[in-house]
Amino acid sequence: MQAVIEQPGTVDEAVEAEAARAELDPAEIDRVILPSKTLTPVERVGVYQGMYLLRMIEALEGDYPAVAHLLGDEAFTTLVTRYVAVHPSVSYTFNRLGRGFPEFVRASRTVRKRAFAADLARLELAITEVFDAPQSSAWPAGEIARIPQDAWVEAVFHPIAAFRLCVFGHPVNAYLQSVKDDHHDHPDTARKATWVAVWRKNYEVWRLDLTKPAFDFLGALAKGRPFGKAVAAAAKGLQGDPGQQLFRWLRDWVAEGMFASVDVGR
Amino acid sequence: MKPEIQNHNRWGLPDLGIGLGLRTVHYPHILEQKPAVDFFEILSENYMDTGGRPLWVLDQVAERYPVVLHGVSMNIGSTDPLDREHLAKLKSLATRTRAAWVSDHLCWTGVAGRNTHDLLPMPLTEEALRHVVQRVKQVSEILERPLILENASTYAEFASSSMPEWEFFARLMADADCGMLLDVNNVYVSAFNHGFDPGLYLDAIDPTRVTQYHLAGHTNKGTHIIDTHNDFVIGAVWDLYRHAVARTGNVATLLEWDADIPEFDVVHAEALKARAYRHEGRAVAAAS
Repeated sequence: MQAVIEQPGTVDEAVEAEAARAELDPAEIDRVILPSKTLTPVERVGVYQGMYLLRMIEALEGDYPAVAHLLGDEAFTTLVTRYVAVHPSVSYTFNRLGRGFPEFVRASRTVRKRAFAADLARLELAITEVFDAPQSSAWPAGEIARIPQDAWVEAVFHPIAAFRLCVFGHPVNAYLQSVKDDHHDHPDTARKATWVAVWRKNYEVWRLDLTKPAFDFLGALAKGRPFGKAVAAAAKGLQGDPGQQLFRWLRDWVAEGMFASVDVGR
Repeated sequence: MKPEIQNHNRWGLPDLGIGLGLRTVHYPHILEQKPAVDFFEILSENYMDTGGRPLWVLDQVAERYPVVLHGVSMNIGSTDPLDREHLAKLKSLATRTRAAWVSDHLCWTGVAGRNTHDLLPMPLTEEALRHVVQRVKQVSEILERPLILENASTYAEFASSSMPEWEFFARLMADADCGMLLDVNNVYVSAFNHGFDPGLYLDAIDPTRVTQYHLAGHTNKGTHIIDTHNDFVIGAVWDLYRHAVARTGNVATLLEWDADIPEFDVVHAEALKARAYRHEGRAVAAAS
């Protein structure tokens, strides 16, 4: 029965599919399922089969609304149909169904604007992960002033669990925002390197476009690089007064609740 | 709220009154307005793998209202091994929310490690009964509480079935010592789809095992009915509910509305219609 339910297409096509036939000869279905007064055995199985794919589409559309918008209903349905055939749900929760979706999009040659769509899917996966990540209290912004002057060099910043840093080859964050804002004039989907921080604050998911230097600095801090080394590396790519700029960024990120704690080594 | 009439539940599980399913679209209303709802039922799996907003909302709801857990992925009827991770998280969630009880469905959701996320019909055979009895006992032991199982709406019947669903359920509950979440709408839907008398079903169930009722709307396709939870409860289902309450006494009753969900007050008002039927059901019982 499951082998039929999981097949796409009409139920008549589903019972004839290879995987379904391997379980049961279509001619034998009447022997397994009873008819009702109004439906044949195949039609009755078809009630379940017809709902299977709709559920999968609904679940993935929930996780990837911008990808669905980009591709349109028909192409998204086709993509999900192919995806769940390769990656069926193997968990009690739908939360895990879409984990392989960005990579699947990236490898799907028939997808329109494939590279853009794959980047967009990665951003939406990051959002989902951040939405569900364990809760951790943010390090209070006022604590910055309490770090002793001589402890800054070795200070190690620990991001909250609900934090992701992403690098893309396309302006997908701007595209996602245009979908959320219901703008029909979406930004250009041409290649362009972009850097985005995704984190959760007050149980809401936030996204911040970063410059490359800011991304590198935040990335170094998030990886646990001592503050002094992170600053030294980041300062090389900045003009003017790098110290001022880096501290301003840090202060903003701390205020946004991106860090859970700071280890000053004492 | 003190129950109007003592129910006859064998575990002493309380009549929580008339509750609603906790749904995302109603989060703001519930948190801000704190409506007078007797209890909330949550879809267990929606809160197992998140440390974010859903759990934060749930904690606040559980602080103010009684909560019961209702799952869709226990896969109790499957031949796959029980999912220990799922059960561990379910137990943890029950503890966190101080859940009055934990329920799932008499069904299978998948085999070979897969989950169709549907409530698939059981072959109602002696072999299947023995299999499910064993699994229910295991689950009850792991959860350290009686498992409450709901009758699912079904759209197909196996030719190998050797007994009606009500007999399967009655024997399962007796042999595995589990409870029933009696979904009156599902009885109606399955009765329509399979051509049996829904009254027969209700009368075959041991009233002391009924721990909770579900009510919901459905979609009649003419040839069959689908359990869509997207509408008001129809009169025939309310009549069945009255009939059932006459046998069980007042039992915690929950309205499910999961698609095309209207404003909170509309859903709540629909649920509260159950009060009158509970009263009538008890009156019928008293008169007979």
